[in-house]
Amino acid sequence: MIFQRSAPKVIEEENDQINNQSQQHSQDEVETVVGPSVSVEGDFASEGNIIVKGTVSGSVFTSKHLAVEVGAKIVANIRAGSATIAGEVKGNIKLKGSLELLATAKVLGDIEVKDLRVESGALLYGKVVMLGMDLSEKPIKTKTFKKTEEAAPQFVG
Amino acid sequence: MYVYIYDNFLRQKNFLPIIRSMEVVLTDYGIAGKILRLQNYTDSKAVIEDEIKRGAKTVVVVGNDATFGQILSRSANCDCTFGFLPVGPNNTIAEVLGIPIGVEACTVLSRRRKEFLDVGWMNNRYFVSQLRVMPSKLEVVYDERFKVTTADKMEVIICNLQPFFWKRDKKDKEQRVVHPQDGKLEGFIRPLTKSGWWGYKYEEPSIFPFEEMTITGKEAFAVEADGKLTKEIKLKIKLAHSKLEMIVGRDRKF
Repeated sequence: MIFQRSAPKVIEEENDQINNQSQQHSQDEVETVVGPSVSVEGDFASEGNIIVKGTVSGSVFTSKHLAVEVGAKIVANIRAGSATIAGEVKGNIKLKGSLELLATAKVLGDIEVKDLRVESGALLYGKVVMLGMDLSEKPIKTKTFKKTEEAAPQFVG
Repeated sequence: MYVYIYDNFLRQKNFLPIIRSMEVVLTDYGIAGKILRLQNYTDSKAVIEDEIKRGAKTVVVVGNDATFGQILSRSANCDCTFGFLPVGPNNTIAEVLGIPIGVEACTVLSRRRKEFLDVGWMNNRYFVSQLRVMPSKLEVVYDERFKVTTADKMEVIICNLQPFFWKRDKKDKEQRVVHPQDGKLEGFIRPLTKSGWWGYKYEEPSIFPFEEMTITGKEAFAVEADGKLTKEIKLKIKLAHSKLEMIVGRDRKF
């Protein structure tokens, strides 16, 4: 603590700290863990954070964080608060918060999310819908020049 | 009125001094009472119900984890307050309850800090600390919602009060601990995979909090609940909320 800076100079460092804190926080609250070489079938629901290292098929629901680790495979529709995916997911993902696709992630399905972060190398095939877009607003019409005779320059001889 | 149930092992000479000094302290506090000795075939529920009819309000278990399990597996639903005086080795539940081992436990007992504890219900009896299903080919269904299976054998450990200690392998020096949360039972599944010709290797455990669980095996499997070993073919485990009124210490782990 003695060597800790009173105020971090670079904003990036601050962000890193926040990320680390949030990761630590999520690790402290770990409640459900699907270990490797374990397969879960059915409606898999939990009130707390979920870490998947094995195989899950059916549906996954949590109001908190879902972490799909490298080597894990989910063949299910996912509903969660937020998620970090490093494994394979086949199914639609619907999240209230953020989604982070790490470099090893493979996602096959539609995504509905508030905040999306995709690392280079991640594979994604599906429709992405991001919350926060006001669909009632009409899209701005851009003027297009028609190739009509009126639009064409007229030369009076 | 207090009733003290002593385990049979406390007759051994090496425990006599500590038992004597405990009795002196209990008399000083004015909470000394009738002493009963637990035998191997004593039906603790019948004995405790008898004593309740005679006016007992607090039943104190004196012994170790095995004593605690033997008495409370049958009599957790008795209409009285339970106390615990841990003596001797194999006392892990006492630490969870915040009760010091030895004479200092009498002080905790005299303070009467009471808590309602959740207990687990297994087929036809209660378990308070931990239940362990020995490695075998099993299928686990949680809350009638999802099924957990492994390719080979698996070991299931259900923790109520006692934390779950585990190591990655035999060489792993760091002991990992998972403390069970209140209001739920914690199920730990450790799959075993073949290693070499004969041996099996433990995999990383899976953790599932639950309220109801059914374990079925193709063959009969061994179950150890609070130190008592039985054989079952189907096991239904439930959580009984606030079933047990217990005197606990300030340093309890829940």
